[in-house]
Amino acid sequence: MNFTRRIASALIPFALILFSQVSSVRADGPATSPEKEAELISILTSEAPASEKAIACKNLAIYGSGKAVPELAKLLSNEQLSSWSRIALEAIPGSEADEALRTAVGNLQGLLLVGTINSIGVRRDTSAVDLLAARLQDPDSEVASAAAVALGRIGSPAAAKSLQNVLAASPAKVRSAVAEGCVLCAERFQADGLETESIALYDFVRKADVPEQRILEATRGAILARKKNGIPLLLEQFKSPNKGMFNIALSTAREFPGNDIDEALATELARATTDAPDRAALIVTAMADRPNTVVLPAILKAAKAGPKQVRTSALEALGRVGNTTCLSTLLESGIETDPAISQTAKKALAELPGESIDKEIVARLAKPDPKLYVLLIELIGNRRIDALPTLLKAVDNSDKSIRSAALTSLGNTVPADKLSVLIKQVVTPKTADDAPLAQQALKTACVRMPDRDACSTELAAALERAPVPTKIALLKILGAVSGTKALQTIGVAAKNNDPQLQDVASELLGDWMTIDAAPVLLDLAKNAPAEKFQIRAMRGYIKVARQFTMSEPERIEMCKLATEAAQRIPEKKLVVEVLKRYPSLETLKMAVKAYQNPELKEDAAAAALVIAQKIADKSPEARELLGSIELNKVKLEIIKAEYGSGASQKDVTEILQKQATDTPLISLSTASYNEAFGGDPAPNAAKQLKVQYKINDKPADVSLPENALIILPMPKEKK
Amino acid sequence: MSKNVTQLHRRQFLKTSLSASAVFAAPMIIPSSALGLDGAVPPSERVVVGGIGIGNRGTYDLGCFLEQKDVQFVAVCDIKEKQRIAIKKRADDHNKNENCATYRDFRELLDRKDIDAVLIATGPNWHCTAAMQAAKAGKDMYCEKPCTKNIAQSVILKDTIRRTGRVFQAGTQRRNLPHFAFACELARTGKLGKLKKVFAHPAGMQAMMSGWLIPETEPNAEVVDWNLYLGPAAWRPFNAKLLDGFNFEKGGGLVGGGVLEWGSHCVDLCQWAVNDVPAPIEYDPPKNGQLVARYADGVELIFRETGWIPLGSCPVRFEGETGWVETGDSGKLVLSSPTLLAGRTVAEIAEYPATFHVRDFLDCVKSRSQPKGNAEAACNAHIACHAANIALHLGRQVKLDPKTNEFINDEQANRLRSEALREPWRL
Repeated sequence: MNFTRRIASALIPFALILFSQVSSVRADGPATSPEKEAELISILTSEAPASEKAIACKNLAIYGSGKAVPELAKLLSNEQLSSWSRIALEAIPGSEADEALRTAVGNLQGLLLVGTINSIGVRRDTSAVDLLAARLQDPDSEVASAAAVALGRIGSPAAAKSLQNVLAASPAKVRSAVAEGCVLCAERFQADGLETESIALYDFVRKADVPEQRILEATRGAILARKKNGIPLLLEQFKSPNKGMFNIALSTAREFPGNDIDEALATELARATTDAPDRAALIVTAMADRPNTVVLPAILKAAKAGPKQVRTSALEALGRVGNTTCLSTLLESGIETDPAISQTAKKALAELPGESIDKEIVARLAKPDPKLYVLLIELIGNRRIDALPTLLKAVDNSDKSIRSAALTSLGNTVPADKLSVLIKQVVTPKTADDAPLAQQALKTACVRMPDRDACSTELAAALERAPVPTKIALLKILGAVSGTKALQTIGVAAKNNDPQLQDVASELLGDWMTIDAAPVLLDLAKNAPAEKFQIRAMRGYIKVARQFTMSEPERIEMCKLATEAAQRIPEKKLVVEVLKRYPSLETLKMAVKAYQNPELKEDAAAAALVIAQKIADKSPEARELLGSIELNKVKLEIIKAEYGSGASQKDVTEILQKQATDTPLISLSTASYNEAFGGDPAPNAAKQLKVQYKINDKPADVSLPENALIILPMPKEKK
Repeated sequence: MSKNVTQLHRRQFLKTSLSASAVFAAPMIIPSSALGLDGAVPPSERVVVGGIGIGNRGTYDLGCFLEQKDVQFVAVCDIKEKQRIAIKKRADDHNKNENCATYRDFRELLDRKDIDAVLIATGPNWHCTAAMQAAKAGKDMYCEKPCTKNIAQSVILKDTIRRTGRVFQAGTQRRNLPHFAFACELARTGKLGKLKKVFAHPAGMQAMMSGWLIPETEPNAEVVDWNLYLGPAAWRPFNAKLLDGFNFEKGGGLVGGGVLEWGSHCVDLCQWAVNDVPAPIEYDPPKNGQLVARYADGVELIFRETGWIPLGSCPVRFEGETGWVETGDSGKLVLSSPTLLAGRTVAEIAEYPATFHVRDFLDCVKSRSQPKGNAEAACNAHIACHAANIALHLGRQVKLDPKTNEFINDEQANRLRSEALREPWRL
């Protein structure tokens, strides 16, 4: 098979193929290659099946030149291959392809004509303007519409003129496309600096009897093309009773360049707040979406008073674009009784950018307004402001709401060297009610401590002097902190005499997220005071082997240790699952060894099969090892088997039927498929063996890469 | 693993709280209450939605839409009769009526004036073409990814969305998940120092193509409309195996694979981390399981198959001069130092359905703001994936002009930027 045939064969898969395997498509040189092109053209001129011609077209999109155009052009009238042909014709540079497409317009009808016109549009062939203009009045509305959009893509003054000439008189079915073409032309004019022409064309469409969406597009274009002078037209849309026009004003306002529009929006907001509050709320969000030029006083005013929907929208906007001038308004709003107002204000207070805000909040706490005290304390935490003395004073307050806010904020802000103040709140809370909140705050603080081991050392010390319920809480916090010291402390707790501590500690270790938990878990699996905790630890250990990144020898060693230490079959089976997940010669050997245990026989055999199939091509010993396993008997029926690539397939059904036995494993006479199946059906191409079969009367199929060990998966049970 | 690494397990995260909202930039929305959404939703505030191509993923998306009180799902279009019936039943059961209309041809659905927005969850072959048609018909759209099949489609799609003024949300729901948002924020705001490398996991770095399979008897169009299923893809005979829309004709049938399938998520996150700048300008061919691309400012975007901390699917990693962060679908974050939390606790939701991404979309349908997965952002990420695939396919370096999105002095690569659509479809 010649070079190009090989490409084509590789590209016509029976199922999905991996294109990267087709190394022959690699090319570092210029786009065209006379040799490749000639071979691809020869496919088009041959009696090759349509599938091969299709892929040849596709390759000509990369390797073709004007020389390929005549043969490609012949396919434009072929219903099956026209689209494939145009893939190449759209891509091949030069006048030959343009001419071929233009010529085809005179010979084609219906959908094939539409496709050809679409391709002319993609190529932006200015020589086709007259030809397309003539087609604008084609009785076939699909053809006329295609011509209109193609002219729009070309975007020349002549194209625009032809579209304008027919817009009003076009049938309703075509008018939308003509308007689309006009908008495309106007956009092109604008890009080319033809502003006057662009505006005129947009306005032409705006005033035409065309679908609303086209008018929206033209309106947007007309606003932006006018630049600063487009602002009145934009504001006019804000007053439009048409929701679509209002919406296009909102989106256009966001993309409008410069800052003149911001003042205009502020003025419009004031008007709309009175006349149309729902719309005013939306205008506020559009204003805030322009953070660099937004007129903040207008939003601040809207946030202070007025219709609720406008206020909430403005408060939310202040969170994004506000500054210190907004603080009083937000604080007052944050304690209003209406939750929609207060929650929005609190969220905005937390988000309001700038360190100056933090300073202002701390300053206000020096002489706090009683009604704002809790809110200001909350903000210390929410904004992570360094104000420890203030919080320590508040945490001793007799008012529970103030203490609660202070504890939460302490959790968010306490520095590492002051962690003891929170530990004290956990071990000796001011009241019992404060304990859960103090524990949560400590956890919040601990998980963000930069030195985890130092943090864990402090927690471990507190653990010694705490009652059991507090110990449990501290252990859980240690689990969240993680790290060497935490691991060690929890490991010790797991062997404590108290069953509650054993339970919590072993559970934490079982969920540990770093590999260093492995030896601790193994030790516990052997030495935990109760069997249930030994089992839990063993499972945790196996989980580490299953999930974590490590070298192959490390994983093998863990599996061996787990197999030795595991007392029960369920855990031994979990080890076999780990082996199956990481196929290698070593894991196969271990699976074969596990097979010797009668209670693991079934799982080990299944694992060995999976491993062997994955490594057989690289490890010839795999086949030998598999020979020591007696596979489950099945009723196997080979229905059909094909070997090859793309259209080059060889029927190997009989060969497989002869080799099939009563197990899912089929051994060929040789490891090489080509040899076993009597030749290479597709040289140099990536080949697959596809088998349709039944096991125990249930149908299934499988696709195997060349020379893979033939193990037929058990058919899936239907649910 | 580094001793300094802090791991934040999902369970360790606080529930969503005020502090969490302080960390992440809030979507630019009007509070729902301001729109009357805290109780019964007035008809004027409902978003009337139709679904196009609702298969497995679409059914999940649909569930997210139906959870939203202000969504009124009124119509489904699918080329498969079975899906039309199933989705209608689901919608009707939810709406407690029998009003969900069914269509075989999505153009009929788009013709309906009452429909505001569409959920596009067809196979990748249709995403861009259907989105373009929806935009031109005046609909806002939530479009599953990969959104485009090639670079040219990506450019035209974002231009069209801008031109039509429509709201477009790509199905890149991870942009609305707190742990991904946090990681991207760290990178974007300089918390990791000067950004050096962003890593994406392509999960199968190989270009793929769907094929021309052995012809089978074409079903009745009412049962499976093969012609509409093919849509913009070049013609081929019916074969039931190709009805797996997931693998059919993504990346123009020439390139795609994991780089596009997963890249439209993880590269999208990398793009967010670099502040949604245009796609990288250089793409090296893959070497040792890594494909390195470079942004104009020298930051490297690295597609790599291995070497990830086990943090679930779709992992990303961002490395700066002073720190790094890695995260994935497990919801866990691994940081070079806890100080990167800047004193904050990362709040995390217990599960991470795309509901919030859908909510972001619906809020923007009302406010006309830009959702997180907007067309500009999504298309830039797609361009990066397509360009990487072209380097992968050609087996050599390619250089992209970020202004024109054309390859520099590279006709061969440029010929792979686009692909003709089957008649009568156009962009």
